[in-house]
Amino acid sequence: MADSRTRPAGIDGSPLPGPFGVGAYAAKLREYLRARSRVQLFGEIWNLRVSPTKVYCELRDADGAVPCSMWRTDFDALRLGDQALTDGAQVVVAGGPDYYAGSRTSSPSFSFAITALRVAGEGDLLAQLDRLRKTLHAEGLFAPQKLLPRPPLPRTIGVVTGESGKARDDVLAGLRRRGWQGRLVWAFAPVQDRHAAPRIGAALQDLTATGAVDVIIVARGGGSLADLFCFCDETLCRTVALLGVPVIASVGHHTDRTLIDDVAALSCSTPTHAAESALPVHCAQARADVLAIARRLDVHGRRALLHRAQALARLSRAPGEHLAGERRRLHQRLREIRAAGRRRLETEHARSARKAIVLDRKAHAGAVEARGGGRLDALALALAAHDPERALERGYALVTDRSGDVLTSARAARRAGDVRLRFGDAELDATITDDDARA
Amino acid sequence: MHEPEPAAPAEPVTPPTYEDATARLEEIIKRLDSGAAGLRETLDLCREGRALVEHCAAELEAVGEGLEELRLGELVARLEAGTGTGGA
Repeated sequence: MADSRTRPAGIDGSPLPGPFGVGAYAAKLREYLRARSRVQLFGEIWNLRVSPTKVYCELRDADGAVPCSMWRTDFDALRLGDQALTDGAQVVVAGGPDYYAGSRTSSPSFSFAITALRVAGEGDLLAQLDRLRKTLHAEGLFAPQKLLPRPPLPRTIGVVTGESGKARDDVLAGLRRRGWQGRLVWAFAPVQDRHAAPRIGAALQDLTATGAVDVIIVARGGGSLADLFCFCDETLCRTVALLGVPVIASVGHHTDRTLIDDVAALSCSTPTHAAESALPVHCAQARADVLAIARRLDVHGRRALLHRAQALARLSRAPGEHLAGERRRLHQRLREIRAAGRRRLETEHARSARKAIVLDRKAHAGAVEARGGGRLDALALALAAHDPERALERGYALVTDRSGDVLTSARAARRAGDVRLRFGDAELDATITDDDARA
Repeated sequence: MHEPEPAAPAEPVTPPTYEDATARLEEIIKRLDSGAAGLRETLDLCREGRALVEHCAAELEAVGEGLEELRLGELVARLEAGTGTGGA
């Protein structure tokens, strides 16, 4: 009991008893609470913390919450797996209220002292998620987002994320890595616990309502499934499923898929990956590719024209070349024909020569035969007597006109005027100058 | 006498998506590389290809002039002011 010398006076006018020492009151309070009935409670476990001697947590449901504690030895004896008591897990606990009275150097605390605990099988968070997942899947709500066309080069990208989270920087890094420099619209919203879901849903609907956003990234940097529970909210997931703009989810949980991962057009493990997935086209690479294609088109265009021009030039030269070829062929023919003619002439000449020799021999043989008879010689002499050449040799002259017709009378000579006199040794032109000829 | 029928209003030509444009460009290059196209076809393909290249370049240009960051509220204000399509 407090020493009466140190106990201060009470509050003037207060009808209440005391003042009492707080330690004594705390001890009485603990005694009172420990006298309460032992009961069983059920609810969701949150914020489980394990210390060397005790385990602390909160038991919550929609109407309220109670801080709880359990001796570490009792907790370890349960042999629960690591994932059994994640935040949100449904449990049944047995125990009663207790009070740690604290001291001058330590804080007091109230807790529901758990003496026994059981994980409530079908009631736990994952089982709830599983049921909801099956329901949404059965309603076909996993499909609509995946059927939306995703533009390869979105001009405007919406991002729903926490304003101060690391996810924001990661998204920017992903977009920069793709060489994208379009318009980025931030729709900041809380991204933790259940209260965030309506804000995220509203941000998604507002972005879509602008009609200016091509794709939306919903990003969060990770956390426990309980932290990400807002992304399993049924209303939010139904909103996403029926949104007219493709949503890429990246809520950063590696072990358990949130429901938004299932209903979104695409689910990525990191915000950076989500940003890259929003841009199927690597902008910098695409610029280089388009430039290369433009160059190839130019080359093809120029080459096509050049080849055709060369072909045309060849064709235009063809008639001339054809003529030249024909001319060469004709000349060759001509040379061949001339050569053939010469050969023929030589052949004929040789044949004629041979015939002449034969004739000569025959003539010689004939002459020998004639000499034998003498008749041929007599005939030759008679013939020679009539040869005009013989008369000319004796001093006669033969008068002809210029055309060579023999003039046999003075009258004919006068008529001709110009005559030719043929002597035995030569011919002379002469003109008849007789006056009668002119008359 | 029949009045000449008024020409049907031209259907608005939907520009090809970037994906379609690049796919068609690949086809064109393949055809040109094959060497099987005649002069007229080659020139037609080159003309079509150049138009597609310009389209793709414009699409890339639209997302290459500098990152613009806006808050949702700012975008809505711009759209209400009628300047939202100004782009980046």
